[in-house]
Amino acid sequence: MKRMLIAALAAGMLAATAAAQPAPIHIGSTLPLTGNLAFFGQHSRWGTELAVAEANAAGGVLGRKVVVDYQDNQCNPAVGVSSVTRMLSDKTEVALLDGVCSSVILAIMPVVQRAGVPLVVANGSATAIADASGVGGNKWTFKVNPSDASLVEALVGWLQQNGNADGIGFLGEDTDYGRAGVQAFEHALNKRGLKLASVDYYQQGTADFTTVLTKVQRAKPKSLALYSVGADFQNLIRQYFGMGLTIPLTGRLLTDQIPPEILASGRLNGATAVQPYTAEIDLPANHAFVAAFQKMHGAPPNLLSYEAYETTRVLLDAIKRSGTADPAAIRDALVKTKLRSILGAEIEFDDHNLAHNNAVIVMVKDGKVQVVGLSKT
Amino acid sequence: MDATYLLQLLLNGLVIGVIYALIAMGLSLIFGLLGIVNFAHGEFYMLGAMLSFFAVTDLHFGYWTTILAVTLVAGAAGLLFYHLFLASLRPADFERSILLTLGISMVLQNGGIFLWTVTPRIVPTPYSYTAVHLGELQLPLLRLFTLGIATAAFLALYVLLNRTLVGKAMRGLSQSRDAAAMVGIDHRRMAQLAVMIGIALSGLAGATLAPVYSVQPTMGSAFVFKAFAIIIIGGLGNITGAAIAAIMLGILESLIGGFFPLTLADSAGFIAMILVLLFKPEGLFGRGVRV
Repeated sequence: MKRMLIAALAAGMLAATAAAQPAPIHIGSTLPLTGNLAFFGQHSRWGTELAVAEANAAGGVLGRKVVVDYQDNQCNPAVGVSSVTRMLSDKTEVALLDGVCSSVILAIMPVVQRAGVPLVVANGSATAIADASGVGGNKWTFKVNPSDASLVEALVGWLQQNGNADGIGFLGEDTDYGRAGVQAFEHALNKRGLKLASVDYYQQGTADFTTVLTKVQRAKPKSLALYSVGADFQNLIRQYFGMGLTIPLTGRLLTDQIPPEILASGRLNGATAVQPYTAEIDLPANHAFVAAFQKMHGAPPNLLSYEAYETTRVLLDAIKRSGTADPAAIRDALVKTKLRSILGAEIEFDDHNLAHNNAVIVMVKDGKVQVVGLSKT
Repeated sequence: MDATYLLQLLLNGLVIGVIYALIAMGLSLIFGLLGIVNFAHGEFYMLGAMLSFFAVTDLHFGYWTTILAVTLVAGAAGLLFYHLFLASLRPADFERSILLTLGISMVLQNGGIFLWTVTPRIVPTPYSYTAVHLGELQLPLLRLFTLGIATAAFLALYVLLNRTLVGKAMRGLSQSRDAAAMVGIDHRRMAQLAVMIGIALSGLAGATLAPVYSVQPTMGSAFVFKAFAIIIIGGLGNITGAAIAAIMLGILESLIGGFFPLTLADSAGFIAMILVLLFKPEGLFGRGVRV
């Protein structure tokens, strides 16, 4: 009897302690944690982890700890929809962070709309995401990173100033990301009375690029715009130079993913690219971010980690301003976002729930990546 | 038609086919002798590539030393793999072998992700950005080496299976386990040797291709499903059949990719496999350990 009383007392004390601690705020995140884009998913996750760790170290949000539930979507729309449906069925997630891959985001947008939970896009860049959001569309989706259309417009404008906008060929992955890249280039070039010299796609996960590179070589474009990410990009860039190709590269060239020996060799000199971010940006807020990221994860951030970090900050700021952590209140708070980006611009959403942060134009000179301009998207 | 372009596509296809063959030969040998479809084969290829990365970057091994060392280590890993997992399987355990090797594949792949993350790694070599020019045609030097290494591996396997007593025993065993036992062939030793050679070949493929492709724990799946299609097209267990089917597939993919959207090329192998399964289920060159 005495033992039972002690046990009941202990259970009561535990329950009282649990009741005294406010329940954590749960955020869902769908990412490619396996498969060919797992590297990108990993960096996106690391960016979110840093922003959440900083918020929790500062006492949490609304006095509550923030917990993120990361689910693997394999960059597959069907898997993404299934994982998001499962997360939302628990009704504990107050908001979702995006799935890196544009195809997944486009597939989960109707799911979050039905559930009435905000989706804040960090990495997917397809223009169609913002086109279908905000006024007259999906009011629950917000996109913090620039769209392909705005990035490519900034790039083509820059190339035209330097007389390099004519004769661009395109090579990209056969996904919404790659197809959005083609559309963005066609739109930006058509405005200037120009057109793409060639368009080629490859399937995600392709290991051998010799065939498509032979095709590109035959088309003889004056420059080649790449829309390729992850391990595919690494394979593509190595095989490009392994085959002795010398066509200048441009597009969404992932300068932080280029093997150092290629950069140092000078083969890439003259390549011009547009990115939402590069770690080389010389701003105090960026230096602090790079140092904190390196300390936490033992690696420098890339554009995925940066985008996820900024996006998570935007979401946490909205939760704080909502005052209740209720999904509808968070959505209303997101609409009124005004947050200083570590790139200097103020993050605000337009009618299509698209933020217009700075884009970075980078160029490879003397075997080094150099930031040649920041351009508002 | 542009003849240079066509010849370049044929040359590219030949090299891609040889790369497929290097991976498919070991798979075919293991199936021929043990009747097991090794779903973990791609992961041994990945481990070979990963080991090459560490051998080159941490131990500062040269290109050829790395290939030799990794092949030997892979052979030893094959010995361990056989004794730990395959030795207890009986001929009737086909389904069990599928589940077992699939499970091992998942453990190795996810173990790799846990240990090394999915960050793509590059194996530097002095030959990475050198191409050989044959008139207007060009071939990266590392691919030329791959062509030579795969040809040498095939010839060595040919000699072993066709010109030695061990090879004769292996071929006999693949035809009838009971008859082989009656003439004194030790089934377990032959199976052990076949797994060692098969895994050594996947390690060789990993070491040879590590400087060509980026290295990361999920890289095995890119080739292994094609290798399955190839050994079905060539005839399960038929090593020459697998090599010919691999080269045919490489050339077919290159030609399709060269004249049509590249995304169509990937389906070529699986369409060929379906056609073979429908009209010639024993494969184009028949089953059994043959060279």
